[in-house]
Amino acid sequence: MSSLENNGLCIRELQVEYKGGQVALGKVTLTLPEHGIYTIIGPSGSGKSTLLRAVAGLLPGYSGELLYNGKPVHDKDTLVGLVPQNYGLLPWKTVRDNIRIAMKITGTAAADKADRETRITRWLEAMGIAGLEGRYPLSLSGGQQQRVAIARAFAILPQIMLLDEPFSALDAVTREALQQIFLDNWLAHPATALFVTHDVDEAILLGQKIVILPAGTGKRTELEVLDNAAVFGMKHGEKRDSNAFFEQTKVIRKVMQEKW
Amino acid sequence: MNKRINHVLRLLFVFAGMNLVWYIVYLLMNHPILPSPGSVYKAMFQLDGHEVLLNVGYSLLRIFEGVLLALLIGLLIGLLMGRSPLWNKLLDPVVYLTYPIPKIALLPVVMLFFGLGETSKVLMIMLILLFQIIISVRDGIKAIPETTYDVLTSIGASSVQKFWNVTLPGALSVILSTIRVSLGTAISVLFFTEIYGTEHGMGFFIMDAWLRLDYPEMYAGIMLFSLVGFVLFLLVDLLDYRFMRWRR
Repeated sequence: MSSLENNGLCIRELQVEYKGGQVALGKVTLTLPEHGIYTIIGPSGSGKSTLLRAVAGLLPGYSGELLYNGKPVHDKDTLVGLVPQNYGLLPWKTVRDNIRIAMKITGTAAADKADRETRITRWLEAMGIAGLEGRYPLSLSGGQQQRVAIARAFAILPQIMLLDEPFSALDAVTREALQQIFLDNWLAHPATALFVTHDVDEAILLGQKIVILPAGTGKRTELEVLDNAAVFGMKHGEKRDSNAFFEQTKVIRKVMQEKW
Repeated sequence: MNKRINHVLRLLFVFAGMNLVWYIVYLLMNHPILPSPGSVYKAMFQLDGHEVLLNVGYSLLRIFEGVLLALLIGLLIGLLMGRSPLWNKLLDPVVYLTYPIPKIALLPVVMLFFGLGETSKVLMIMLILLFQIIISVRDGIKAIPETTYDVLTSIGASSVQKFWNVTLPGALSVILSTIRVSLGTAISVLFFTEIYGTEHGMGFFIMDAWLRLDYPEMYAGIMLFSLVGFVLFLLVDLLDYRFMRWRR
């Protein structure tokens, strides 16, 4: 195989089983180019969270291969920024401390403490939460907490970003604002990203390609991967009103009716 | 701020009320075994300051040593049991069987093994606290949702980093409330252990005054001992305020 094919995140025949031997995720093969962003959509129980957790290194037992640029994902060289649905903030740390501890553990900007602090401030400003740095997560709204979680994921400058339905617990207005903020920041710092969602609109708005997981986790046929370059190339604000968006919605709904 | 002043005022009011009841009982009894509040406070202020400080200091030192020892061992065992199912299986029956033993009944055993000196006093306090701390640390750690560790795990945090950033702060509130509850017991046990083999400490001071039939001084000792307990309680409150700010 040429080295070009090995570029990016390579998931080969990934299979995850529960302790009882039940299959949690069938054999999945997917290649995500470096600096690409794919959205994964699937019904509940299709194993989309399991897929992300396996890539994040949170599952001890899986079979198959997980490579990033030809090397194992769980190598020391490959940093994974995770944004879970429940935000995953440490409630006993302030907003700033939450970001700082992630940077400390990953050794981001370790040489210069002042530099680290200015970077934290910059990320907080980018997420529009500069005023909240001294607050504790429990005193924040869901949208604010998710902004912190995204800031933290970007702040460690990861090679891979994994987002597990990050906006699904938020109201529509907050969700749209955060989609915009996330995409703007991702375009400025394009980490190789997998974005899991159960929202069709969100999948179309944020992905270069859309991966559709079929219902049930048993024997899996080829994954349905839709090219979404047409919509992805537009300005974020114009996507929703475009024809391409509308067409894409129809295609996905059709696949969903057949496979779910 | 207003709330706090209100709180302090209420405490003072209750304190004054208790003294009033005491005074009434004193008048009714009219017997030397219960002196009036006035004579007790007078005795308290006539005490040799240096001697009082020495006694209070000894008592505090024993409590601190006992609590610290119990915390160190209890944290270690509780952590082991909370994070490792294997160790929990091994140690759970041990804790289960030894927990109901009234630790104060072990006082003679501890005295036999460790003599009448400082060691046996500190060990008794430790024994009283240890099992409660083990159990509360274990349960506190188990109560932390596994997902709390996810982000740190995914960025490759070490076990030590996870302990300092997740496990310890997550279990701290339970640890603090356990200390608060068991501190009362620890102080009572301290009193028992200070009856023998020492010439310092609040327990010694009170029993010594009792033997000399100096009742005002005995009551003054009891008041001082209570004050020490109260200050310790405040200290735990202070720790709670400092480390539990995130919950408010």
